[in-house]
Amino acid sequence: MVLLYGLLWRFLLFLVHVKRAAVAWMRVRLRSWRVRLWERTIAALFLPVSVSEFPNYQKKTTLNQNANRLSGNRTGTNPSRPLADGKALEKLPVHVGLMVAEEELSYTDIASLVVWCMAIGVSYVSVYDNNGVFQKNSSHLQEEILRQQQKLVGADESKHSVELLNTDQDQHFVVSCRPMLKVLSPEDGKHSIVQAARKLCHSVENKERSSKDISVSMLDDLLRESKNIPDPELVVKFGPVNSTLGFLPWHIRLTEFISLPSHRNVSYEDLLGVLQRYSSCQQRLGQ
Amino acid sequence: MSWIKEGELNLIERISANILKTGPMPKHVAFIMDGNRRFARKKNLERQEGHMQGFNKLAETLRWCKHLNIPEVTVYAFSIENFKRTKEEVDGLMELAKQKFERLLEEREALEKHGVCVRVLGDLNMLPLDLQQIIAKAVVTTRNHNKCFLNVCFAYTSRYEITNAVREMAWGVEQGLIKASDVSEALLSECLYSNNSPNPDLLIRTSGEVRLSDFLLWQTSHSCLVFQSVLWPEYSFWNLCEAIIQYQLNHKSIQKARELHREEQALEQLEADRACIAELTQHQGNGKPADAQKRQEALQRYIASREARVQDFLQALKHKRNSFFSDLCSETALT
Repeated sequence: MVLLYGLLWRFLLFLVHVKRAAVAWMRVRLRSWRVRLWERTIAALFLPVSVSEFPNYQKKTTLNQNANRLSGNRTGTNPSRPLADGKALEKLPVHVGLMVAEEELSYTDIASLVVWCMAIGVSYVSVYDNNGVFQKNSSHLQEEILRQQQKLVGADESKHSVELLNTDQDQHFVVSCRPMLKVLSPEDGKHSIVQAARKLCHSVENKERSSKDISVSMLDDLLRESKNIPDPELVVKFGPVNSTLGFLPWHIRLTEFISLPSHRNVSYEDLLGVLQRYSSCQQRLGQ
Repeated sequence: MSWIKEGELNLIERISANILKTGPMPKHVAFIMDGNRRFARKKNLERQEGHMQGFNKLAETLRWCKHLNIPEVTVYAFSIENFKRTKEEVDGLMELAKQKFERLLEEREALEKHGVCVRVLGDLNMLPLDLQQIIAKAVVTTRNHNKCFLNVCFAYTSRYEITNAVREMAWGVEQGLIKASDVSEALLSECLYSNNSPNPDLLIRTSGEVRLSDFLLWQTSHSCLVFQSVLWPEYSFWNLCEAIIQYQLNHKSIQKARELHREEQALEQLEADRACIAELTQHQGNGKPADAQKRQEALQRYIASREARVQDFLQALKHKRNSFFSDLCSETALT
């Protein structure tokens, strides 16, 4: 009997795997199918139909039109398009975390995601993987981002340049102070909470403060490292593992987690879809 | 409605449970029971009725968990942020909690039979005194049961819990039990309200929200997160099975990540110990460099003394927490 149950379990897991693969495959198919559909609708728009009656519809088409253009040919597109998409969203996160829970990392794809996020108007982007590989190779990532920037949004460098925040060594790649990139590893998670705790305990040891004075906001200030970066409102998780894998436990209190199957060959449309989903979420903050 | 629901699973459920059980099963499941108010609105019920049905669903879920051999469940009953709700609703929830914990005391025999240990995680001081006393009584009565564990997070947020852990460690430093340099990830975990439980393997949030809302942030950093769109009062056995399958699919990769994290943690601890030794020898000021053997011995000695300190401190902390509950109980005896 046990053997039979075991076999059935294996079969069940296999079915779920098949379902997952089928869904992933459908997504790709659906995308290419949608491209064709939009081509047709765009053609229809040129017909003398009064489009003004369907303002929402029109907006949506242009939105996806842009998306297709960006994802379809990843070369020289109008740099103002993502910005328009960002403005069309009801709510845009200030800080987005990109979390990769996959074995093989692709610098090019992560770089494109960072560039797209920033072009849409996100001010802070964090990149994380639970082996800390991105952090170890942050200069490689930086180069790749610059390359993707040239390719995807054109040479408008003054507007979309990236600052890499690096806490360990003070090597800042400051070009402009606008969008900021932070490369995170598990070290920045629990480890930094422990560091802050040790600091507070040291000050208690030296009789600078009493244990009763320690408050949530005090710890929060310490963990913010006086940089005033807001907590990420959105974490886009790539890969099949449903876990935060140590991503900044203190900071993800109100973070929305949205998953995509993989960061490899991810398209601008995928990212825009996630942002659209985020903008339709509302938080009640305990109320 | 009672906490303990008797009754077996039906045939199909039993077969499915047996199938699931051949795979890796979570030992500890955490629930964010979201959607009671939306359920009430959907069914045109009073808000309070929605919360009632939510509680009944909890009792039912505990029964399923028992049949699925899941010994530990943690639920998010009331967040510190929930105090921001209207007075009427907060009062209603406090009243509901009071009723339920009174009920729990009435059912102590059934709890003993099933060996259910109920713990309440959170800052009880924020609650009305009568509720505090009832909760303390329930906790003290079931303290020694050890077959299944139910942790109820009440007046809880994870940030508050972490801060409280830091405060406890600072208290230990003030009392001279530990040094600030003894603070480590393992020690912080031991100072959390959840120190008696293993970390949850699976966290389930219902009603389609995709965030943690300040629940077990520290403990779930390597747990499987499952967000389900069903409203909590409508949660079914099959929803739970689906979540467990998700866990089983993720089991291997999460286990690997946990292993990696454990190794890093051990390394970190060793480095911290080495740094402390280095500082000590500098203070002692004998400039001659010790040989490897001696250094190793010094390190071993240091580790042993640190561990002894930490053990003493944890004993003291445990005593402090236990007496908090016992004191509350004896207060009721007097009044």
